Amino acid sequence: MVFIFTAISCSKDFLEPQPTSAVSEEGYFKTDEELESGILNMYDGIQGTNDRSTSSNHSIQYEFYVTEMRTDNTRGKGAVDSDADQAQFVNYNIRATNGIVADYYRSMYNIIYRANVVLDNLGVASDANRARFEGEAKFVRAYAYFNLVRLYGDVPLVDKVIAPLDTEISYTRIESSIIYDFIEEDLLSAVANLGDGYKNRASKAAAEALLAKVYLTIGEYSQAQTLCESIMKPARGFSLESNFKDVFYNEGNDEVIFAVGYEPDLIKDSQGFSSEWLNAVGYTAGVNYVTKEMRDAFDQYGGDRTLYSIRQDVIQPSEYQVAKYIPNGDENLGIAPIASDPRLAGNDWIVLRYADVLLMHVEAILAGAEATTSSNAIASFQEVRNRAGITTTVATITKEDLLNERRVELAFENQRFFDLLRLGEAQNVLSAYATENGYNFTSTTLLLPIPSSEINLSKGLLEQNPGY
Amino acid sequence: MKLRIKLTLFALFSLQLFSYAQEQPVVSGTVSDGSNVPIPGANVIVVGTNRGVYTNFDGKFTINAVKGEVLQFSYVGYQTKNITISDNTTYSIVLEESASELDEVVIIGYGTQKKSHLTGAISKVVNEDLDQIAVSRVDDALVGQVSGVNIQATEGEAGSAPTIRVRGTASISGALSPLIVVDGQVVGNDYLGALDMNSIESFEVLKDAASTAIYGSRGSRGVIMITTKMGKEGKTRFTYNTYTGYKRARQSDAYYFSVNESAQAELVATGSLSDRTKYKQQIGIDEDWQDIIFTGGIITSHSIGARGGSKNTKFSISGNYTHDEGVLLKDDFKKYNLTLKIDTKVSDLFSFGANITPTFTYKDRFDGSTHDILRQAPWLPIYHDANTIQYVNRDVYPDVQIGDYAVQRHFDDYDLYGNGSSVSISSTSNTNPAAKILERDRTEDRFKVYGTVYGQFNITKGLSFKTVFSGDFQNAKNRRWQGVQASRNGAAAAQLDISSQNVLHLTTQNYLTFNKMFNNHEVTAVAGVSSETWDTEYESVRGTGYDSDLLQTITAATTISLAQSEEYEKRLFSLFGRLNYAYKDKYLLSLSLRRDGNSALGPNNKYGFFPAASVGWNVARENFLRNSDVISNLKFRFSYGITGNESFNTGSSLIDNYPYLALLEPSTAVVGGSLVSAFNPVNIANPDLQWERTKEINPGVDFGFFGNRIAGSFEYYNKESDKLILYNPVSTTTGFSNALVNLGEVRNEGYELELTTRNIISSDFSWSTTIIGSKNKNTLVDFADSDGQILSVDSKRAAEWINLEGEPISSFYGWVVDEEISPEHILYPYHPVGAQASGVYVKDLNGDGLIDNDDRTILGNPYPDLLWSVINDVKIGNFDFSFMFQGSHGAQVRNMADQYLFNHFNSTQQYDPATTPNQGFIREKIFTNSIIQDASYVALRNVNIGYNFPRDFLKRTKVFTRARIYASGQNLMYLTEDDYTGFNPESIRRTSATTYGYQLGGSPIFSTISLGLNLEF
Repeated sequence: MVFIFTAISCSKDFLEPQPTSAVSEEGYFKTDEELESGILNMYDGIQGTNDRSTSSNHSIQYEFYVTEMRTDNTRGKGAVDSDADQAQFVNYNIRATNGIVADYYRSMYNIIYRANVVLDNLGVASDANRARFEGEAKFVRAYAYFNLVRLYGDVPLVDKVIAPLDTEISYTRIESSIIYDFIEEDLLSAVANLGDGYKNRASKAAAEALLAKVYLTIGEYSQAQTLCESIMKPARGFSLESNFKDVFYNEGNDEVIFAVGYEPDLIKDSQGFSSEWLNAVGYTAGVNYVTKEMRDAFDQYGGDRTLYSIRQDVIQPSEYQVAKYIPNGDENLGIAPIASDPRLAGNDWIVLRYADVLLMHVEAILAGAEATTSSNAIASFQEVRNRAGITTTVATITKEDLLNERRVELAFENQRFFDLLRLGEAQNVLSAYATENGYNFTSTTLLLPIPSSEINLSKGLLEQNPGY
Repeated sequence: MKLRIKLTLFALFSLQLFSYAQEQPVVSGTVSDGSNVPIPGANVIVVGTNRGVYTNFDGKFTINAVKGEVLQFSYVGYQTKNITISDNTTYSIVLEESASELDEVVIIGYGTQKKSHLTGAISKVVNEDLDQIAVSRVDDALVGQVSGVNIQATEGEAGSAPTIRVRGTASISGALSPLIVVDGQVVGNDYLGALDMNSIESFEVLKDAASTAIYGSRGSRGVIMITTKMGKEGKTRFTYNTYTGYKRARQSDAYYFSVNESAQAELVATGSLSDRTKYKQQIGIDEDWQDIIFTGGIITSHSIGARGGSKNTKFSISGNYTHDEGVLLKDDFKKYNLTLKIDTKVSDLFSFGANITPTFTYKDRFDGSTHDILRQAPWLPIYHDANTIQYVNRDVYPDVQIGDYAVQRHFDDYDLYGNGSSVSISSTSNTNPAAKILERDRTEDRFKVYGTVYGQFNITKGLSFKTVFSGDFQNAKNRRWQGVQASRNGAAAAQLDISSQNVLHLTTQNYLTFNKMFNNHEVTAVAGVSSETWDTEYESVRGTGYDSDLLQTITAATTISLAQSEEYEKRLFSLFGRLNYAYKDKYLLSLSLRRDGNSALGPNNKYGFFPAASVGWNVARENFLRNSDVISNLKFRFSYGITGNESFNTGSSLIDNYPYLALLEPSTAVVGGSLVSAFNPVNIANPDLQWERTKEINPGVDFGFFGNRIAGSFEYYNKESDKLILYNPVSTTTGFSNALVNLGEVRNEGYELELTTRNIISSDFSWSTTIIGSKNKNTLVDFADSDGQILSVDSKRAAEWINLEGEPISSFYGWVVDEEISPEHILYPYHPVGAQASGVYVKDLNGDGLIDNDDRTILGNPYPDLLWSVINDVKIGNFDFSFMFQGSHGAQVRNMADQYLFNHFNSTQQYDPATTPNQGFIREKIFTNSIIQDASYVALRNVNIGYNFPRDFLKRTKVFTRARIYASGQNLMYLTEDDYTGFNPESIRRTSATTYGYQLGGSPIFSTISLGLNLEF
């Protein structure tokens, strides 16, 4: 009997074992180090999960589906092997139930959540570090919102950690212009608070470059130009790699402004898209394959870049695949395998690089016009072309020239879709491409659907984009 | 305290010596049945003493007893008889056969109860011939044996667990399988796969809340109490039981796509054959992949036991080896089981006992999905031979040789006419389907041991104290090797995964039992305390970078791509009590209460109370019925109780164990080529999380007519479970996809009937029939904000489920098929699968002239309305014959295998946008009821014919006391509805309760024919 009462009296401790394989948030985020672990966790979020689970956040590992595969640059390899979700991006028959659409939406909000965790706990940071932490978290949050607003249009604005019952925030779509204001504000703070140095973490240059692209998107050209020129100052240390191949196969080079870091052969820190772009090396038969239109563009504008951008598929010689980010090497191209299992690729994913900034500089000067003869614009434009071995100079740059140049320079870097949108050519170019290939393109195709899972959960609060 | 025990023990020991020294007269006699046939093995005891013997082969006994003492004679199936010893020293005892089981004792939580005093719904199954059913798991043998229990072969791989539901689905994220208690110890459900049926005495299934409330927070899903066999006083009895059977898989005709049949269909429809079809015919292979992966297999079992004991000490030792080859390619299950059990009565004051059961199981898996393999083309061989090698496209595959695995792509770009044209027939870049299985090795090894030590002190007459310390330990080691030829990616994808999990579960129970009869009152009370701990350790490692299959070890890997370890703890602390009261055996009352404290719940709701009450009235014992010739037993019962469900499965063990805390798990990112560590929030904490609560009423009646020639019971229950624990989808804008909440209410309401008729009873011919029926209706009563929630399992094949109040927990949702698309509008109607459009015309349900989301409706649900079984037992002389028909009606499945096997997602089978009319009315088949099928079945579950060697014959052997040979069959007949295309209507892929009923090929139903032998000596 004594035993019984002893057991009862000590049952409180008995019934509260503390976890040993995880940390309880209560009592965490008290120091700079702890807050910094929250910062690094944001990049883990951008990395995404390298697996096949339909409930994982694949993040930017699936970005090519919702961007590049929706353009005239790439498609699925063969119709026969097309897998329902993936094929929908190629033939513009995207449904609200598409898992990749939901995955990307979920992933971006998860990144925003990770950033909000840092921002909500910013009070514990030391004075020395607070500004830097704030800038870094705001850069990441803006990056995610910029992707969301361009792909989905008006989206819910979550600027703090929210609970499941905060349905008004979760299911109210905020007008794009307000989202852009929010992004601008975050990036201005990042520009002000960050310095240069990191390439796999936020830096001042990364914030400036991203903000420049935001300004180009919303038509604030002069501000974009100023930001580009700030990055172009020699003292900042950014320059084009002399050999185009080295941009992708020499990580951390001077051209990179912001890249997502991956390491080979580690499930948690590797990426899978590199292998999916090959013939049945990843889990798909081959996606993000080069279109005929893209090959024509390379024939015309590619220069030296073509060799390290596209290559013939050995197994199906009529097909061409992406030669950037090859995980398992290519002897002919002098590329060594990066991973022993190509599905665990370690190639970093470049988000922003100097060539992009130079071409954004051109775009800023073009300022929405059809052509420019500005010598500053031509200088930047020519710098990019020279590296590609195209040294013939031009006297004017048209919008079409710029689009073509961006298309081959930044091919398969998930830029084309946004370039077409920003320069107002998406409707023309993509509908012509769709007609040519028998796809069904309409004006509403430019926005992705809000995932049906969110619509269903919202019980009518969340409105779908037109056409879905 | 200690000293007192010692003194008492000493005193008792002395007494014992003294009693041995005493001379005692001998009483002897014979025990026989009504037709004068001697009864061997009948139990003869001197009431009130420890003295007892068994009758020998001729029914004779001798026992020490003196005048005035009472001898009690008992034997299973006969009425117990008492005689008081007079001056005679020899007695001829005739035992009368008993149709009544009124004095049968039933195991309940923390004690036993007379069946006649039961006030709850408890079904008992005695292992009479369950051990003759050739299945490798004990739960597989229970199908159809108990009302209210649905046991479904949802996975058919050798050794894999069936899905068990007691009285419907009462939870959504919580555990749904009943709690398993073996000899008083709560063990994991896994143990059902490790136990040996030969060592099991009986099963008691506690169904209503009043019966299960003594298990409190684990009671709402029902409790299966298993009692293992124990030795009896007397000569040690050895048993040897064995059987060997052959298992054969049921195949689906619909899933065989013969090249020639498709060609015929094409010829009839179009008048000619396409190049693809001609080419497929030219290759000359027409493989039914079902033949290749459904290999059939042998099942064998050997079990040996020795049981016996002396007056005060009894023991049981048994060992079992079972080997089940399964019906799938490569699947295999081996089980080794040893049981040691000993009880000893040290004195009238103290007894103790111990048992230990170590088991090993080894399982080789069929490491693939049947739907994935069966969708491969029938023209594809496994290996290349001299014929097929000539079709290989040498430009692309220069190295392929005879004997290599054939791959569909090898056959592409073939110049059929020798004129430079080319035809391609591949529909997948995957490797050969047989290679996927043959080049992988996936094993699951389990070592489990459970054991108990108890001591029982009889404090005063009627009051005893029992202390039990028990534990079970499980090591689960999984290993998966994916060889260099297992996938299309070759050596780069070769990989080894090894994981190991140890779970140590320790329990201490201390309880007092009080039992007293005074006048017409009988009181039994139990009060106690128990605490349980679970400590789990998990480790896993993945190696990649293998060049060959030569060394399949982690050491041989060039890269460790994943390595992890985790630990977690869970604890339960409980107080419990029960009072059973009977007045004149007529008026019955039972009250119980349990208080559980659970470490996984937050401080706000850590403890739960689970009370129950039940009453009963034995009408047949009233004077007005006592002498009735018609009614021999009639008891009305009513019970009410509250139970809980404390478990849930979020997919993360950490969240499952500490859901009330906001947890941060380590994460890593890459900065400048180096890994940096970070912490990532992994859940939305819920400090208010609490138990699921089930309130159940259960009126019931037990009846027996004509001397219990017709006997049975009927139950009605209404089980309302609320505060359901859900890992509920939340807006992903929160950063998460799910959160644990208590939400909603589900009701299971139903009837159960168990009826046994003894049609013929005579000494050489008997026939009895048992009819078991259960009807259950599942209704989602309240789902709060989630009412009407539409979910899908897999975003790639996003067929929908709806969770709608007033309907079952989950219902299939989608459009209703109107008519098929004519083959003329399909792009390639005869490739790769004949005349199967991916889409179908659907009905405009709301008549608004267009098809949209508003035209979706409920298409069915996966829960059976009616389960039944009919068991017949016939004994004629030395022969016995039994068979069971069993059926399930009213459930549907969403057969996604059709989607895969008929290649519904293949773009060649899409409609032609240029020619097809009314395209706005077409939806993909998976979103419609095109693949919702009736999962009802009627099966001849078991047939058993046995022959008992006659006693005279056995006597001459001088060795054997019992010998029996038998033949048995399972599923010799298995009928399904016409619209069901698969090979196992019971198969269900594991998903959440809100998206239940998803069938993806799965493993086939199989039939077994076996021969067996039982020996006793």
